[in-house]
Amino acid sequence: MKKIFFFFIALSSLNVLKAQSNTNPDISLIGTFNTFSNFIKDTPEYGKLNFETPSMEMFVDGYLNPYSRATANIAYEEGEFAVEELYAQILRGLPLDLQVKAGKYLVGFGKINTIHPHAWAFLERPLFHQIYFGAEGFNDIGIDLSYALPFESFYSSIDIGIFKGDAIAKTVASNPDDPSTFYQLRGNNPVFVGRWSNFFQLNDYSDLELGLSGSYGVHSYDYLTSDSRKALFYTYTGLDFKYKYRSDAYSSFVLQGEALLNSMDVLRSADEIFFYQSRINTLGVFVYFDYQFSKQFSIGAKYDFTYGIIGDEPGYATLSNDDKNKTQGIAAWFGFYPVEETLAFRLGTENLFFNYSDGAPRDSETTIKLQMIFSLGPHKAHPF
Amino acid sequence: MKKIILLALFFMFNITFAQVNVVTTTSTIYDIVKEIGKDKVEVDYLCRGDQDPHFLEVKPSYMLKLRKADILMKIGLGLEMWAQQLIDGSRNSKLEIVDLSVDISIKEVPTAKVDASQGDIHPHGNPHYWLDPENVKIMAKEIYESLSNKDTENSSFYKKNYEVYSKRLDGKIAEWKNKMSALKDKPIIFFHASWIYFADKFGIKIAGYVEPKPGITPTPSHNADIIALVKKNKITKIVMENFYSDNAPNQIAEKTGVKVIKVPVNVYGMDGVDSYIKMMDNIINQITK
Repeated sequence: MKKIFFFFIALSSLNVLKAQSNTNPDISLIGTFNTFSNFIKDTPEYGKLNFETPSMEMFVDGYLNPYSRATANIAYEEGEFAVEELYAQILRGLPLDLQVKAGKYLVGFGKINTIHPHAWAFLERPLFHQIYFGAEGFNDIGIDLSYALPFESFYSSIDIGIFKGDAIAKTVASNPDDPSTFYQLRGNNPVFVGRWSNFFQLNDYSDLELGLSGSYGVHSYDYLTSDSRKALFYTYTGLDFKYKYRSDAYSSFVLQGEALLNSMDVLRSADEIFFYQSRINTLGVFVYFDYQFSKQFSIGAKYDFTYGIIGDEPGYATLSNDDKNKTQGIAAWFGFYPVEETLAFRLGTENLFFNYSDGAPRDSETTIKLQMIFSLGPHKAHPF
Repeated sequence: MKKIILLALFFMFNITFAQVNVVTTTSTIYDIVKEIGKDKVEVDYLCRGDQDPHFLEVKPSYMLKLRKADILMKIGLGLEMWAQQLIDGSRNSKLEIVDLSVDISIKEVPTAKVDASQGDIHPHGNPHYWLDPENVKIMAKEIYESLSNKDTENSSFYKKNYEVYSKRLDGKIAEWKNKMSALKDKPIIFFHASWIYFADKFGIKIAGYVEPKPGITPTPSHNADIIALVKKNKITKIVMENFYSDNAPNQIAEKTGVKVIKVPVNVYGMDGVDSYIKMMDNIINQITK
């Protein structure tokens, strides 16, 4: 991790030396600082004002040549540096006006997943993203081809990619040869992801985007029910929409939602000795609105539903394999943007409700969070 | 039957008879291109006249417009920070970018390091040069040359239209100068720092801005300064673009009796303002009223 840090310092020094050059990439920094209090019994944060370690995203991006550009996003979270994104894109010059993106990046499954968290209207990652993709969302290593369909009246594009599967194949299985050890089944299998997105300009003031996503692949292997390993497949189908009405420069209304339908091979056992294969069908969904009622203020609310229990560790009996237990969430927030997009304050609350199929009781959990985000440098606005 | 087949082919393949397909970032450039290209050019624009051209949401529908364009014409000088994302998204490798600021005498070019503490300062100079009609003649020449390079066959057609338009502007400039002479050296408060070219052209004195710094929301303390300034210098007018909030100017007006004048600064920025000449007529008529 130190190497990454020193590499970055060296890169910055180089930029100072070449400050007059026109070929310097853009460098931007997004800082996030959270304070929160929760009302979750038996936790050390209960009822207190808690301060999270500030996090940071450093973006370095620019053109490599007239046809392509590259982006690096180096993140500092919970006291550690990590390469959040590192990719290159060929934007023009390919046959059929194809675009290619390769590296590590936020995968285009649904709409929200490709948007950096600092640009979300809400404070917390949607629940079904946490269940089906993990705490960092669908961020993976791979390559993606994008084709814009030749329609005249609306913009329509198809993306197809192949990825390592870090965000999907994240279950942990015990080693049948040595029950005291576990397989870390992360990113061992290529997975396929596709998205068809359609953008309609309804009139001068309102727009609608509709998307259909799919992901297919092997999420794990079965070592328990047969002598040879047998692939366990999954299929995610995603639907998303975003409607935005902007009446003038200072007010807008956004209604956005996504759903994921999961069909997945899993292993089941009644006694933890004999296992059998099964297929589960689960889903997750969220919908929110955000209303900017003046240049500096906005309010919004979000509803989440997902199979699985938020906060559980990955395993065959939990998270993406859980077709019995459910989590629901209701969130609301108030945003204050003193000067355009350079500084934002958001006060939000999220309530989680848990439903166990065996009737086990669990209190709902409430978190109140105050967030400050600043944006330094020319970080580009996310498209619609 | 033949007519039906031809009509069907027309719609299926989007057959157009225009020689050059131009997209402009603002509706003012659009109007000038129409004047010079007339029916030989198919032209569309991205930012509506009633929108702030500094901030345009990057939408795929704009990428669609650029995908089939031959030329994108822009104001430049950092006004359209959003344009590059649209160009990249268009996937159009043949798109030619024409920056209309190249022959303009740029004002307010920073001489020292620029940073965000100074507000939204444009590091290459003030980009609102189209509010001086002399600069529109320079833009028109740039547009004529660009269209001629792309479509050499119709070069003389574009040249003739450019000359006619330039002459019309000369006539209007004389008329506008005459009207504005009543306000020569009179102090006026403006909302945003976009009026230096207009003020210099017509000899107006810019007394101050409602925004404390370019692009920064008015503050109570700055409003108090402006109120004192208005009272001290007996200023009678605040001029502002009609897409900005008039809350602060109205508060100043309540305290001082100054008149708040909201004007369009791009074509189609107000009902009935469907050309650059009508836009300037509107601005000057309102200011001199």
